[in-house]
Amino acid sequence: MSAPRDAAAPGAAYRDALLASLGVAASAPAPVPDEHPALACAASGLMALSGQADGPPLMCPVPLATLADGALAALATLAPQADFADLRGARLLGERAALTGLRRQGARSAGGACRLLDAADGAFALSLARDDDWSLLPAWLEDDAADWDRVARLVRTRHRDELVARGRLLGLAVAPGVDAPHERTAWFELPRGDAHFAMKPARPPRVVDLSSLWAGPLCTQLLQRCGAEVIKCESTTRPDGARQGPAAFFDLLNAGKRSVALELHTPRGRAQLRELLLRADIVIEASRPRALRQMGIEAEALLRENAGLTWVSLTGYGRAEPQAQWIAYGDDAGVAAGLSEILYRASGARVFVGDAIADPLTGLHAALAAWASHRAGGGRLLALALRDVARHVAQFDRPRDDEALRARQREWTACVAGLEAGLPPARAARGTAAALGADTTRVLQGWGIAC
Amino acid sequence: MATALKPGSRFKSAVCETQVMVVKAPAGEHDLRCGGAPMVAPTDSAGGEPDAAFGGPTLIGKRYVNADESLELLCTKGGKGGLSLGTTPLEVKQAKQLPSSD
Repeated sequence: MSAPRDAAAPGAAYRDALLASLGVAASAPAPVPDEHPALACAASGLMALSGQADGPPLMCPVPLATLADGALAALATLAPQADFADLRGARLLGERAALTGLRRQGARSAGGACRLLDAADGAFALSLARDDDWSLLPAWLEDDAADWDRVARLVRTRHRDELVARGRLLGLAVAPGVDAPHERTAWFELPRGDAHFAMKPARPPRVVDLSSLWAGPLCTQLLQRCGAEVIKCESTTRPDGARQGPAAFFDLLNAGKRSVALELHTPRGRAQLRELLLRADIVIEASRPRALRQMGIEAEALLRENAGLTWVSLTGYGRAEPQAQWIAYGDDAGVAAGLSEILYRASGARVFVGDAIADPLTGLHAALAAWASHRAGGGRLLALALRDVARHVAQFDRPRDDEALRARQREWTACVAGLEAGLPPARAARGTAAALGADTTRVLQGWGIAC
Repeated sequence: MATALKPGSRFKSAVCETQVMVVKAPAGEHDLRCGGAPMVAPTDSAGGEPDAAFGGPTLIGKRYVNADESLELLCTKGGKGGLSLGTTPLEVKQAKQLPSSD
């Protein structure tokens, strides 16, 4: 029996690894909460959200919750003035489920839109988050499939790689259930800018947030807590879909941000967007690069015109071709990152790990990258992919072989025996999110842009 | 040249880089063209220049529909030519609404 190790060790090691990957030497790193990874997993809601609906909650044998604490501690290190008193990195993971009453559902995602399916030669995940996605199934399967049972039956005789490739061609969020590679891979890419993030004094940044749903809005909320002024910018005709979701969750992420709505289908609206981006210090967006390009918005060109800008691009699989065309949501990206495969190897259960797990993990990491770049003078295009961030977390403290995975799962499950693996108490929203476009005129005028 | 269009079947332009996949189509045979020239099977080869009178370019990721949206194509590779059914141009379908959650 080895000596008990420092309970929060993986969290502190992860904080230091993240800072090191940004080239930051921190003399006074912010502390990581002192909680055993097994307890952090149980208390984060991650355990309650993994497993069959009628089975026991499953312990994830990689310390996702503790590493989320480590990521928030890395951000707190760079933003010592940040208002994080009511925040725990780990508790962000189960927050949506806690607020909206989601439960584990095995091979069906907690949110309900994603399924783990078995092809002839392996498992894969498919998200059908938009009603319109169902209209693509006949082209994907060459069959009039109109419900999940039929989809599950049809894919059983097909090859996974062909299903994934054809689904991606059609713009479906489909991901193979692969393992995380043992060799560590990067959590961000830096297509443009200095890799050494030397900290300088900086004024609170102006952030323009073009993202939607969870990862991007969580990122800009964390930046807001660091002192940033956040403008949530949406299209008048295609606003953030989360406005149609549970209000408590939308308010939690978006209260206190100013809402600008632009007619992005018109040349005038696109020109106004360009002007906003030229005056921003940080831009967060979660579009496929071609979608913005087709609107005349090019990150690289804006970085040339606005020298101190930090542009954070959130994608499913990165900005390189052909991956730039593939879409992902939090659940299927977690599968692509290896999390479901790791839990399968440890427990034999083919289930999702957590609720849209790649979303809160990516939101945390994106805030760290954005803040670090801004504090270092900007001038960077930072690309974070949901799959890559979740994979980086999955790899960090992963036992090497299946036997060690199973042993750790047994040990950590025993640690929490007798405790209830519930959902964390939800944070309270600090007010109501602004109505769509409530601040358009004020922000445009204030920033000197013609209305 | 009239062809049956089945969901999932793929075609390429005879005169530019455009490639499409059929998302849905009415029964029967249809005169699907790109750049004014009948589209061909992905493995066929052809040549020529797109006729500018048929519009274009096509944009990857966009969906193209006829007037009553009974025909819908997904552009899987963009090119210079414009899509048409016979001589009637296909229109870009409005972008998908964003999901409310994932």
